[in-house]
Amino acid sequence: MALFQEADGDPRVALDRLADVLSYYGAVGDAAAGLTFGFSLRKAAFARSIAEVLEVEASLLDAVSIAGLLHAVGAIGNPALVRENDLPERLATMERWDIPAAGARICAAIGALPERVADIVRWQAEAWDGTGFPDQLRWNGIPLPSVALALADRVVRAHEPEEALASIAEEAGRSFAPAHSRAFMLWFHRTGAEAEPFTFPRTALLADFSDPGDLLLDIADRIDRHLAVPGRARNVLRLAEASARALGCTAPEIEALRIAALTFGAGELGNGFESTLDPLVRLGLERRAEQAQAGARLLEGLPALAAAAPLVAARAEWFDGTGKPAGLARDVIPIGARILATAIAYDAIDIDTRARPAARRATAGERLDGAAGTHFDPRVVTAVLDAAKAHA
Amino acid sequence: MIELHERTRRISPTRIHEILLRYGAKSLVDPFMGLPTHLNYLKRHGIAVHGGDVLEWFVRVGEGIVVNDLTILRDHEVAEIVEMIPGRIYALDLFKAWEGVFFTEEQCVYLGVWFDNVRNLRSDGQTGLAILGLWRVFCYWLQKAQEPDEMPDLPPSELAWHYIRQSERWVASNMRRNTVRQSDVMQTLERQRADALLFAPPPRNALHHADPRIWMWEAWWQGNPYFTLEHAYRDTLFGARSNDPAAYQRSIAGILSEAGEYPLLIVATNESRLGEIEPIVRNARAKVECYAPNESEIYLIATA
Repeated sequence: MALFQEADGDPRVALDRLADVLSYYGAVGDAAAGLTFGFSLRKAAFARSIAEVLEVEASLLDAVSIAGLLHAVGAIGNPALVRENDLPERLATMERWDIPAAGARICAAIGALPERVADIVRWQAEAWDGTGFPDQLRWNGIPLPSVALALADRVVRAHEPEEALASIAEEAGRSFAPAHSRAFMLWFHRTGAEAEPFTFPRTALLADFSDPGDLLLDIADRIDRHLAVPGRARNVLRLAEASARALGCTAPEIEALRIAALTFGAGELGNGFESTLDPLVRLGLERRAEQAQAGARLLEGLPALAAAAPLVAARAEWFDGTGKPAGLARDVIPIGARILATAIAYDAIDIDTRARPAARRATAGERLDGAAGTHFDPRVVTAVLDAAKAHA
Repeated sequence: MIELHERTRRISPTRIHEILLRYGAKSLVDPFMGLPTHLNYLKRHGIAVHGGDVLEWFVRVGEGIVVNDLTILRDHEVAEIVEMIPGRIYALDLFKAWEGVFFTEEQCVYLGVWFDNVRNLRSDGQTGLAILGLWRVFCYWLQKAQEPDEMPDLPPSELAWHYIRQSERWVASNMRRNTVRQSDVMQTLERQRADALLFAPPPRNALHHADPRIWMWEAWWQGNPYFTLEHAYRDTLFGARSNDPAAYQRSIAGILSEAGEYPLLIVATNESRLGEIEPIVRNARAKVECYAPNESEIYLIATA
């Protein structure tokens, strides 16, 4: 999909975009798994550093880094974690065991990734004694790069590095081979449990790489399925893009809006679910603002996606200045954010109205029109309603 | 000191599941199942699985994690496995022959206690779970004998408790009939049909290179510390012919011939053995696809 503007034939631009989208994917995986922001970046950095001490082949170190980054992408859409899927604890645990395998399938489908990334992700939760998951591999059947990921996971999860050291020593012969436990101690003392910050190994991406726009669309679809709102991002993208064109937005503004339409949902992962509340009432505004901030934070620091961050961050602002978090008003709110907020609201009300026709007297258009001037920019409301009519 | 193998067979059930899904297979037979944790995975993902092996302990474990749909062990039942029960008579010197060679005196006593305790459980499912959990303790001890300073000293009953609890986590139902049987490969193939056959041919001379943790645990289950694999495999298809390359290849060809009616055949091998196995498979089936995700895992997928 032509989500981004033309790169004027410069392959480096496409490669940089792809690296940023993959970094974003990693961050989304963390959010879906309920991990802290930046978990995957730290895990990738530690995994590479530990892999060197484990004497993993040099040619695999980049794959280890990328696998660390994408370690939790399998959590997106996992039945134990998706919205309103209240599984019994035993069943939920079994479903969570499938996260690495689901992650491996996702990685295997991304043509640009080095071949071994998928298997490193697949076996990152295996244990030396055969009690790990999903494959219950045992002893040296577990490849070293996956062991590096498992050790790095302990470091990132620990409150203090010494805590990881103690737990890995304690589990020598169970979760970890004694030799790997020993290697970890060597790494710990050699590096002081510190690693170089993660930088994406762009050169490891294969020349025949995937399209970053298609990948971002795939991520958006997965997020929507996770949040039980399938197709939402695509609907919002369609409405927002048509509205932006009608309002005369510039090409860079439209590109940022496209990205924002496909990424705003990520802020809802692990932050409650916006779609359970009526988007036109003030109830839940604080939560929506938190989700907007969380969504924006995933985009910041990624040059290819960062332009969308202010739009995602401001999607809970109200046109009359009573929104959150900054209380921005009228034209101070970026035009893209105004369009995004209106398109998201239209989509939510429209789905709700069509799903429960008897429960609503007013149509989505009538309700949105009623919020023009207070919640939404009237010009934008008109553009979004026109776009909706055109696609009806 | 016993030599523990560096490498073990790598069967990835997630990968096999992906293959089964791709070909629409809903049931599978594995006549060389070994430790059937891979069958447990496939079962949990809705595949009807049927396994067979010559070693009895593998089959017992299969009763715990493959056949068993709902039986787990409550705390007091685990307690009745891991420690001596007052009033019960134990053959505490049953594994005396291993004392000072592989295990300490205390460990040999526990092996005797567990030998009796697992035979007093209420169901085959519970027995299977206990055997799997205790096997992991057994492996831990053998590993610790090699690296005494690297692994923590854990009381035997605590370790056994930990591992038995671990084992029962895998119990799940798939609402299908799943079976395991103690039989040689041909018998398993004759008695069970399915959409797919998973066949991981044992290497030539496998008997002589088997991991000691595997056959020693059969020895424990049989209550015979002098048990050797030759006892178990002497009269099996591969047992008598394991030394002779031609006979070995004829054995594999015979299995593939017997498996002719299976719509899907998955032969699991690795890079070092591919040259020997692939021609036999291609000779037996017209359509063969080679799927090689890594050098330790190569699947020859034959369809009708």
